Amino acid sequence: MPSLTVGVLALQGGVGEHTGLLRKAAAHLGAEFDLVEVRTAEQLARCDALIIPGGESTTMAIVARRLGLLEPLREFVKVDGKPVWGTCAGLVMLAEEASATKKGGQELVGGLDVRVLRNRYGTQIQSFVADIQLPFLGEAEKPFRGVFIRAPVVDEIIITPSVASQKTPEPVEVMGVFRKVGSTDVDGGSVEEDIVAVRQRNVFGTSFHPELTDDIRIHVWWLKQVLDTARHKGLPVDSAV
Amino acid sequence: MAANLNGANGNSNGNGASDDAFTVKAGLAQMLKGGVIMDVTTAEQARIAEEAGACAVMALERIPSDIRALGGVARMSNPEMIKEIQAAVTIPVMAKARIGHIVECQILEALGVDYVDESEVLTPADDAFHVRKADFKVPFVCGCRNLGEALRRITEGAAMIRTKGEAGTGDVVEAVKHIRTVNADIAKAKAALAAGGDLAIAALAREIGCDAALLKRTAELGRLPVVNFAAGGVATPADAALMMHLGCDGVFVGSGIFKDAATPEHAAKRARAIVKAVAHYTDAAALIEASVEHGTAMHGISNAGLKPEEKMAGRGW
Repeated sequence: MPSLTVGVLALQGGVGEHTGLLRKAAAHLGAEFDLVEVRTAEQLARCDALIIPGGESTTMAIVARRLGLLEPLREFVKVDGKPVWGTCAGLVMLAEEASATKKGGQELVGGLDVRVLRNRYGTQIQSFVADIQLPFLGEAEKPFRGVFIRAPVVDEIIITPSVASQKTPEPVEVMGVFRKVGSTDVDGGSVEEDIVAVRQRNVFGTSFHPELTDDIRIHVWWLKQVLDTARHKGLPVDSAV
Repeated sequence: MAANLNGANGNSNGNGASDDAFTVKAGLAQMLKGGVIMDVTTAEQARIAEEAGACAVMALERIPSDIRALGGVARMSNPEMIKEIQAAVTIPVMAKARIGHIVECQILEALGVDYVDESEVLTPADDAFHVRKADFKVPFVCGCRNLGEALRRITEGAAMIRTKGEAGTGDVVEAVKHIRTVNADIAKAKAALAAGGDLAIAALAREIGCDAALLKRTAELGRLPVVNFAAGGVATPADAALMMHLGCDGVFVGSGIFKDAATPEHAAKRARAIVKAVAHYTDAAALIEASVEHGTAMHGISNAGLKPEEKMAGRGW
């Protein structure tokens, strides 16, 4: 049975951390995947799914532009609709809009109808680790240790009027929120809450870095989505998984 | 990598909170991998670096070649200048403190810099002790010439290492020597663990002067347990690609971008070329392009002509 090819965009950032966890997650599922690092359009074309890792989103965008990779990436995400997951800088790359960018703005791949706010919590000194409830992992699951490093958050879900396609845009699902400790007011006051995980169609993004932990749950969940998508398209994949 | 370092460094006291603190510190360095960190002295230079694709900038008053030329005591930069650079860019901003100068580190932490470089490029402030970096919330990067020195810094709390070269010379020979030494030391540790287990690791740890548990972890990983960048003397795209080829995770470029650059545009071209060379260090065609784009390199000073007292890499221990 031919195995699916899963790429990690390797222009800059935490690439090996993702491939390491993907390998563990695949073993956990008992499924075979070809894991590849993607630096060229040819390598991208081979992939059935892609992770855009954490790193510096400005650097990744500049390197991708110079390599002529931005358009192939947009096609991969928006036209082919192949599963993509971005962590931290990867989430920024997958957003349609970003604020607090460098002077003159930065180029994005897009795919998620959201606006992200870069460096939401400030500089490195404000980086932190916190428990995040992720219902998509299962209601009974223990919280996920979210590692937030100069992290972006989803500031706003943008309803794009899709004049060209005449189609109703698929909804953006909020997959996880971070509630600041102590911000919950029992008397019904305001609760400070940030959107830190979203999905729209096959595009998934997290503010935090599961690849900096030993916890394979999100990678396992995402690979299952990748397999489901492939099955849906009629690709021959191992139905035992 | 660093996520698994828990318990083997100065940050850990057995509770989860300090392990988390180290994960966050080392994690930022992991996100810088495959990138170029550029020395900048003004907001304008920082913008050139950001536009070229630098993954971070190092804010300092003078580039190392000018520190070398000027002589005198080199200290932490003026906070006003660091603030201007922080305001100008969105990528991480690092800054240097003198070896052992706890108060310079506290000032940089209060300024909100993203990483402190306890650096031999500045004049050391303490000839007995480095800073206990685990006490700080801001992460630290430190230089090393061999594995023992790297692991001593990590035990003190450094979350990132750079192999020392001879800063400000534009001569890559010392940077090459030190990454080769670190690689050879790691090979020795792996061999010791395989041949003699914990006892052999303990003996080697005594010999090179480092913590045995951390040495064992390094031997198991087959690499430094935190991110390691090259630094010092990297002047051209080919130099940068060479350091990647030797196993570095990324590259610091100090004087190489702005020294002897004819115009800001020339500096921008050099910066772009070095970013390209690091991202594609195995791609010969990309390296040709990068070398052409780079143009004339800084003139430089041959390391062989330096007197021992003129070398910076020997500072720290």
